[in-house]
Amino acid sequence: MTTLADSVAWIGGHSVHVPDGPVALLLDRLGDYMYAVSAVLWVLVTAALLWAVFRRRAEGEDPNDPARERRMQRTVTLAVAASAAILFVFLFLSYDTSRAMTGRPAGEPLQIRVTGHQWWWEVEYRDSLPQHWATTANEIHVPVGRPVVFDFRSSDVNHSFWVPQLGGKRDLIPGQETSLWFRADTAGVYRGQCAEFCGYQHAKMAFEVIAEPPPRFAEWLVQQRDTAATPTDSLAQRGQLVFVTSPCVMCHSISGTTAGSRIGPDLTHIASRRTIAAGTLLNTQGNLFAWITDPQGLKPGTRMPATQLGPKDLAAVVAYLETLR
Amino acid sequence: MSEPRRSELGARSPGPRAVPAAAAAAAPDTSESQWIIPAKNYASTRYSTLDQITASNVGQLKLAFSFSTGVNRGHEAAPLVVGNTMYIVTPFPNLLYALDLTQPGAPLKWTYKPDPASASQGVACCDLVNRGASYFDGKIIYNTLDAHTVAVDASTGKEVWRTKVGDINQGESTTMAPLVVKGKVLVGNSGGEFGIRGWLTALDGKTGKLVWRAYTTGPDKDVLIGPNFKPFYPSDQGKDLGVSSWPGSAWKIGGGGVWGWISYDPELDLIYYGTANPGPWNPDVRPGDNKWTAGIFARRPETGEAIWAYQWSPHDLYDYDGINEQLLLDLPVNGQTRKVLVRPERDGYVYVLDRATGQVLSADPFGYITTTAGIDLKTGRPKQVEEKRPQTGKVVRGICPAAPGVKDWQPSSFSPRTGLIYIPHQNLCEDEEGTQADYIAGTPYVAAIVKMYPGPGGHRGEVTAWDPVARRAAWVVKERFPVWSGTVVTAGDVVFYGTMDGWFKALDAKDGRELWRFKAGSGIIGQPISYRGPDGKQYVAVLSGVGGWAGAVVAGGLDVRDSSAALGFVNAMKDLPQVTTKGGMLYVFALP
Amino acid sequence: MSSRCPERRWVLGAVALWAVTLGGCERERRGFHDRVPGTPALSMVRQSDLQPGPRTADAAVPSPYDDNAYAVSEGKRLFNQYNCSGCHFQGGGGIGPPLMDAEWIYGSEPQNIFATIVEGRPNGMPSFRHRIPDQQVWQLVAYVRSMSGLLAKDVAPGRSDDMQVTAQEQQTTKEHPVKSAVPPSTQRP
Repeated sequence: MTTLADSVAWIGGHSVHVPDGPVALLLDRLGDYMYAVSAVLWVLVTAALLWAVFRRRAEGEDPNDPARERRMQRTVTLAVAASAAILFVFLFLSYDTSRAMTGRPAGEPLQIRVTGHQWWWEVEYRDSLPQHWATTANEIHVPVGRPVVFDFRSSDVNHSFWVPQLGGKRDLIPGQETSLWFRADTAGVYRGQCAEFCGYQHAKMAFEVIAEPPPRFAEWLVQQRDTAATPTDSLAQRGQLVFVTSPCVMCHSISGTTAGSRIGPDLTHIASRRTIAAGTLLNTQGNLFAWITDPQGLKPGTRMPATQLGPKDLAAVVAYLETLR
Repeated sequence: MSEPRRSELGARSPGPRAVPAAAAAAAPDTSESQWIIPAKNYASTRYSTLDQITASNVGQLKLAFSFSTGVNRGHEAAPLVVGNTMYIVTPFPNLLYALDLTQPGAPLKWTYKPDPASASQGVACCDLVNRGASYFDGKIIYNTLDAHTVAVDASTGKEVWRTKVGDINQGESTTMAPLVVKGKVLVGNSGGEFGIRGWLTALDGKTGKLVWRAYTTGPDKDVLIGPNFKPFYPSDQGKDLGVSSWPGSAWKIGGGGVWGWISYDPELDLIYYGTANPGPWNPDVRPGDNKWTAGIFARRPETGEAIWAYQWSPHDLYDYDGINEQLLLDLPVNGQTRKVLVRPERDGYVYVLDRATGQVLSADPFGYITTTAGIDLKTGRPKQVEEKRPQTGKVVRGICPAAPGVKDWQPSSFSPRTGLIYIPHQNLCEDEEGTQADYIAGTPYVAAIVKMYPGPGGHRGEVTAWDPVARRAAWVVKERFPVWSGTVVTAGDVVFYGTMDGWFKALDAKDGRELWRFKAGSGIIGQPISYRGPDGKQYVAVLSGVGGWAGAVVAGGLDVRDSSAALGFVNAMKDLPQVTTKGGMLYVFALP
Repeated sequence: MSSRCPERRWVLGAVALWAVTLGGCERERRGFHDRVPGTPALSMVRQSDLQPGPRTADAAVPSPYDDNAYAVSEGKRLFNQYNCSGCHFQGGGGIGPPLMDAEWIYGSEPQNIFATIVEGRPNGMPSFRHRIPDQQVWQLVAYVRSMSGLLAKDVAPGRSDDMQVTAQEQQTTKEHPVKSAVPPSTQRP
């Protein structure tokens, strides 16, 4: 089985130290400041400690010399004041960074709603014209250079949205709306991950952010707004019939068919996505077969049950899903 | 048409008053002794010109005969009287009985059994009701729960034609009373809680063949919107709004059934009918105006072509179906007589619309409202109160009126003698939480948890006599339970209606004073009628048999420990099983 | 147990406590790969107590999840997500009959409820054959039984994530199932 790790050329991987975009840059810079200052302080304190350990009292030095006492007092006061000042600088810096992250970005941001589910991400692109709404899952396309404002909800337990290279974390809390923004400055694929333990498959609740040049993004969005393609070859046609008359239809939506349930991810354009099962597997034919046949083997506890389809029906469903570009 | 006795009334209301639209009030029943469609006439006034029973003698009213329907669900239908025969349609299994009025005790002439599909009981949102039949050209025409329309020979009881109009596997059922206009049988579907796509269909009255179908949602060609479509408000103008005001293909399962009342104006040659709520109830998943749900259409009866439309509740938030009756009146407005359509609406306002153009002339509250702060007459849109907007995963409290609205399907009546509209309605509020909306064909598509309770004052029902000229209530009678029955008013100035705890009551049409009451076997949610029998006497008839959405707690034997049962109505009706039981009985009254 | 040997008493107590906690393992077991009993053969789903001559014994169909809290809570989730609650609401009924009371039109045994879900019933209950996998049907069966208090209190759900509309399943007093006749088609459940 092909897994993500051995096939995808990551752009930067999954690290806070390779920031891309102003929010991640701010966070990284804050981290760097704190690291640098702390490193200097650590060296100074360690040096002072070593000095204190190895220093010997000079000949004839009076331990009760009031002048020395005053000197020591001054040094300690100065050190405490310096520590407090540095902490205040840290406080101010982190406050400033948080403010820059949570405030609304300048310009006309793109609005995306993300809903956390055990264990996948529902992604909705909203528009003032309701006809232009688009729904996808586990894959967030964003235009390069344009700020994106996310508003978060959760349908079950606490989750946390985190794309290390693009921005901070934000919790998704049932019954509460939270939000976050970032901007991707370089085209590429960024990995995101649930960062709040949310149950059995928390570790396999990942997603991808795909930053594209604005024209390509616009193209993608128009395509995502479409209802699903009507299958033309007989195998896919049979697959559609199997889909709407099997357990698939109880949980998934395919716009334009009678499948309209939101328990599992929307599959209207599943073939256009890079991964399945919330970033668990690459979206290949073999992986689709494997996933539909034995989801509990690949991701124990996932809400997707084994569907008990016969081999012909299974092949037809996979063929159908592969037409849903 | 009626003998004017204006001296009695002149002193109380000397000013100009409303009169029914003349042509519509006469048709289709020119005889005052019969009752051939549930609304009595095309103007839907439910006004009987008979005046033997008056305010002074109604106290002596006695039971003339009764008849058990043998069905124990909610009886919402109006009996019909054609010639010397009375016809009764029961709830599922939709039996049709013909009673011979010439014989003492009105014995059964024949029974017609349509045998609707048993499974259709699973797609009836709110009990298994039927709102009645219509008589046309020697046939009794009505809908069965499993989305079929049948025409039965009125004299022999033999089926003339039967047409399948919908599919129960997609959640469709039919509960409304059809109306026949110019030989076209107008039928609409129910199922706004099942993700249906609403429509009104015209069938050929002779053959039952489909003539046209006008969908509530979707592209203009499906909604039968053409070049003659001239809605009054700019927000209703545009191309394919029935698609663009929905996300994706949500319009295909967007509800907007047509399960209420249709009126017809022969002069303007327009039919008027309301469309039901959009689906699902949870508004989060269907942004936009959701056209043309929770609105009203004016169409040509022959082609179905839409002439104008208006939405009572664009992007409906609370299941405020727009299916209530429309009374066609000629009303003095600002000194000139206007052809209007009066609509006591679910959202709690009595709307007065110009029935030629669809312009809202006025909208005045007749109940307690927290969800809107009035209707903007410039745009025609309600002013929504933001904090009462239901949302996924949030509990919003104090939503008034509740989902059944200040007034539901139960039809009101209008007397040209008093100039008043007698509105039976309820006084309910609710708490609501939106939930995840999973559309699974043939199963409910509601996505909301609701819990209803009595509105201010603690009483759950009212009968309001509304003066459409003065735009205020003339009097109000309070009832313990929602008044889920229709009203009828007669030229003897008596208003009849039934209560859910089983009382059939007569009020003085002028001041609302109770004049008479009779205790029926089961709660009353039917539509009373009045007719003249072959013996020349005036009769009043009503079906008893509690049920419907409000009475589902009794008719369905529901468990009152669950406040959300029956879409939350059970919480407001927990004491109903203590005062009434299931039943199904026709009661007919006359003076001794 | 001898009072002259307190250590032994403590050891015995600890062993007993450990044995008690073992009971919890079954309650919390998460059987993601469970092989559940399949569709009960129709012959096992008896609709009548009346039989010509002496009654033959029924083959018992085990309900795999009557003692498993995880499966019951999954059943509760599915009950809402698969729109069971659309008709039965939180047990009080509406379009369909109430589930929290003692009246079981088609029987209260697990296999009866299983058959009701899979096969449907004539007066409006849809058939979910080929729609809901057997394992999930059994989870639903266990949850439906918990609604009228037929499961142990430590197995039944103790809280709801949504607006409070009914007492929790855990607090529902046990309803002793009443067997009632299959209603005539003119009279819906």
